[in-house]
Amino acid sequence: MHDSPGYKVIMQWLAGKGYKPFTFQTETWQCILNGKSGLVNAPTGTGKTFSVFLAGLIQFINSHPAAFQKKEKNGLQILWITPLRALAKDIGRAMEEVIDELEMKWKVGIRNGDTTISDRQKQKRQMPEILIITPESLQLLLAQKNYPSFFKDLKLLVADEWHELVGSKRGVQVELAVSRIIGTRNSNADVKANALCIWGISATIGNLDQAKEVLLAPLSIHEEKTVIVKAKLEKKIEIESILPDEIEKYPWAGHLGIKLAEKVLPIINASKTTIIFINTRGMSEMWYQKLLTIAPELAGAIALHHGSIEMELRTWVEDALHAGKLKVVVSTASLDLGVDFRPVETVVQVGSPKGVARFLQRAGRSGHSPDAISKIYFLPTHSLELIEAAALKNAVAENTIESRDPLFLCYDVLIQYMCTLAISDGFVPDEIFKEVKKTFCFSELTKDEWQEMLFFITLGGTALQQYNEYKKVEVEDGVYKIKSRRIAMRHRMHIGTIVSDPMLKVKFITGGYIGVIEEGFISRLEPGDAFTLAGKQLELVMIKDMTVIVRKSNVKRSIVPSWLGGRLPLSQSLGKKLRETLNEAGEQILEGIVSPNIELQVLQPLLDLQHTLSHIPASNELLIEQIETKDGFHLFVYPYEGRLVHEALAALLAFRISKITPITFSIAMNDYGFELLSDQPIPVDDSNVYEIFSSEHLVEDIQRSINATEMAKRRFRDIAVIGGLIFQGFPGEHKKARHLQSSAGLLFNVFSEYEPNNVLIRQSFQEVFTQQMEEQRLREMLNRIQHSKIVLTYPKRLTPFCFPIKVDSMRENLTSEKLEDRVRRMQQQLEKL
Amino acid sequence: MQAPVLHKIHHQHFWLSAERAVFWQEQQTLILSDLHLGKSGHFRKAGIPVPQQVMKENMQRLLNLIQYFKPNKIIAVGDLFHSAENLELELFKKWRYDFEHIDFFLVKGNHDILKRKWYEEAEINLIDDRLIIDLFSFTHDQCDASEDLYSFCGHLHPGIVINGIGKQSLRFPCFYFTPTYCILPAFGKFTGLANIRHSKEDSVYAVVDKALIPIKG
Repeated sequence: MHDSPGYKVIMQWLAGKGYKPFTFQTETWQCILNGKSGLVNAPTGTGKTFSVFLAGLIQFINSHPAAFQKKEKNGLQILWITPLRALAKDIGRAMEEVIDELEMKWKVGIRNGDTTISDRQKQKRQMPEILIITPESLQLLLAQKNYPSFFKDLKLLVADEWHELVGSKRGVQVELAVSRIIGTRNSNADVKANALCIWGISATIGNLDQAKEVLLAPLSIHEEKTVIVKAKLEKKIEIESILPDEIEKYPWAGHLGIKLAEKVLPIINASKTTIIFINTRGMSEMWYQKLLTIAPELAGAIALHHGSIEMELRTWVEDALHAGKLKVVVSTASLDLGVDFRPVETVVQVGSPKGVARFLQRAGRSGHSPDAISKIYFLPTHSLELIEAAALKNAVAENTIESRDPLFLCYDVLIQYMCTLAISDGFVPDEIFKEVKKTFCFSELTKDEWQEMLFFITLGGTALQQYNEYKKVEVEDGVYKIKSRRIAMRHRMHIGTIVSDPMLKVKFITGGYIGVIEEGFISRLEPGDAFTLAGKQLELVMIKDMTVIVRKSNVKRSIVPSWLGGRLPLSQSLGKKLRETLNEAGEQILEGIVSPNIELQVLQPLLDLQHTLSHIPASNELLIEQIETKDGFHLFVYPYEGRLVHEALAALLAFRISKITPITFSIAMNDYGFELLSDQPIPVDDSNVYEIFSSEHLVEDIQRSINATEMAKRRFRDIAVIGGLIFQGFPGEHKKARHLQSSAGLLFNVFSEYEPNNVLIRQSFQEVFTQQMEEQRLREMLNRIQHSKIVLTYPKRLTPFCFPIKVDSMRENLTSEKLEDRVRRMQQQLEKL
Repeated sequence: MQAPVLHKIHHQHFWLSAERAVFWQEQQTLILSDLHLGKSGHFRKAGIPVPQQVMKENMQRLLNLIQYFKPNKIIAVGDLFHSAENLELELFKKWRYDFEHIDFFLVKGNHDILKRKWYEEAEINLIDDRLIIDLFSFTHDQCDASEDLYSFCGHLHPGIVINGIGKQSLRFPCFYFTPTYCILPAFGKFTGLANIRHSKEDSVYAVVDKALIPIKG
């Protein structure tokens, strides 16, 4: 490589800018030049883009050493897949800069939902050398006539931020697209001869090897022939908790955080730019307001960034961040990814980050110069979260990082993909089946299931039907095609639908777009009610044609919408660390061994009370508290496995207990534990508790508990949209579309009653088991519990541990104001005792 | 099927069936609403594979009701059909010809957009606004319009939320009787629900599986 002309050109260019390549970069170049595929493991902001991109340039220069600056219209050379639209622009800009400085004639194209029709047409006529694309837009590319010709010159296919995609359905879209691109090349002998290298770029996750396997599976090459290049650039991270002056013995979520806002001001003042990460959009709106109230001088230097804010405004915030014009940005996960904002010196995490990897990623948003330390502050939203801070510190010290588990057999994505291919040139089932089988996601797909899906898209069901006018995919000489323009158009519109509660646009009555808001929230408001969005106080005027019309409001108190997103469960790794940290806390109380963690030291009063009333579980113990209040009989269990697993476990327990005696429960949970509440005593004691937590008949028992159906129903929502069952309508078809509206819940009921074996219904249940309940995790947990000591206590009143769960369960039915009053009263009553 | 439940209005006998219809004894009339026939076919035609059995089962239930009550008149208070014509409606026509002896009245609902000729062929008496028989009025969605008459209407697809102990809640279709009007549950199974809020003087019967359960106000 070192003697190659391309290498020399690139090294010269780098030297001209005063750069020297990192070892992992030259290593990657070498691999690509050798025609290998693999994965680069490097954190953001370390030149990961160049590690792969420059290799593409070297390769090209090597092939055309004399004419590389003259050659144009070379066809698509590099396909760059990125999960975020916002990233495309920055990456494209960086690449164009290199190409310009090398005086090459390459073009960089961007393809996503924002690309104009004229640009798309241009790309269709002449593909740029580099195309930066989102997974959805890549699917759309496969929906174009004659798409195989796009990929005939392709040398390098890159999946950037692959860790973000690998555990998601968008990752499955990438897997399928890769399998098709390889398929189109294999069917053309000339093209096949040119090697295609496939590379993933990923931050550190627990299962890097598997992530690589998922991406490269369609290549069908031996694993030993692929590589992982690691960037071995360790970044120092410093974590500091923001401690409340007084520890509340009865903590509850969402309450303490905002009270500590004052303590954030000195941090903001001390650094150039600070990002404050908040878990939910609703809370971020509150923080923005609060900071402005307590520090009015921040006006103009503070901004808000979350997924419901208008794109243009978000872009402005990002640009201002780059330029160092902002002092502080309040953000949700929407700023997790993306290019570096160099001016950012400090990061504040409010509330649990739910996982170690996410926490590290956010910490990595600060301190960019090579030797800089990333500084992150942890601000608890209730005092128990301080234990989590201590656990995070331990996890970071021990380098414990979560895996991103790839998905299996997503029939909805496959159905969508089949229809996509049917729009463009049509597909021949045998050929595509072979390709699909090569992907990781569908490696276990059976011929029967494939047949079932072919029936589904052609006949609209399984068996022959009378009076059937079903029309979607038609078969012509063995080729599966969608011929109706209307259906084709509708399908294209649906690819890339981001699945969520239907979102409505919010506009001023005078015009001017503010952002989007969930239908479920706005439907609870009456005209005249005030709410907050994008940091503005707004008054609802009316809802018209999927648009919420508002005017400015001067009302002091407005409702902050709660969005459905952001309810990530606690990760398994962090849960484990949490249990270990509690062990430490227990030792501190029982044996007087003072923990080196400041968080545990300040929690002493709370831990004392918990110990007096009940127990602090060691890492090999499971604590169960049974408490009687005027609300009824409570059973609290603390497995620390995240809210989704708790939901499943609660349903399972409720079912098993109801087999002992007829009894009904209500269920509440948070990331630490869950509650069963009943109006009669709950028959759980030493004699049966291990049996109730047995992992035997796990799946059968869960299936019998009502919740599985309810959970599947919720899952079905996304699946129905992706699988094309839910029609959302499109501009100009408003009236006609009305007769095709139907809710996912209704469709779920109809399908489960009349076609319970439908693939999409099956998938809903499967997703509940594998993803939502995380059956594997549930099973591991039950096995762990079997081998641990179950400690049953009967506290006389509510304990500090159960209090947040109890409050969470009240939250749903009460407005925030009422809730606050009620909780305060409860706290006072309990502390008096 | 559970035995019908009697509900008296103006000394007339109305028998409520858990199959989501009312039989008016004095007039030997079956009253129902919001069948949305052809809805599954409409979806399927647009490439959305809703199971066709939902239509067949709706027809089967209608057949069962006719065999049970032996009415000589049927009144549908709107949304008998879902949308434009499709093949599933042929199934209805065929069925209709088997019961030619029954008079069929349809008070037009917002979904009944077929051509008049179609209704004529299917021997359906189409009523644009409201049908008045005795002290009773039948409309699709204008329950309050008839001052002195008791109204039967549909359109809403009424549903009732029943809250259990410990925050459990379930939702069922229901018959909703106020002192001046009754909103019928949607007969078709491929229909959603809109929650009602009832007061003390109202009577509500929830349709729970194959039975009717009176709900206290």
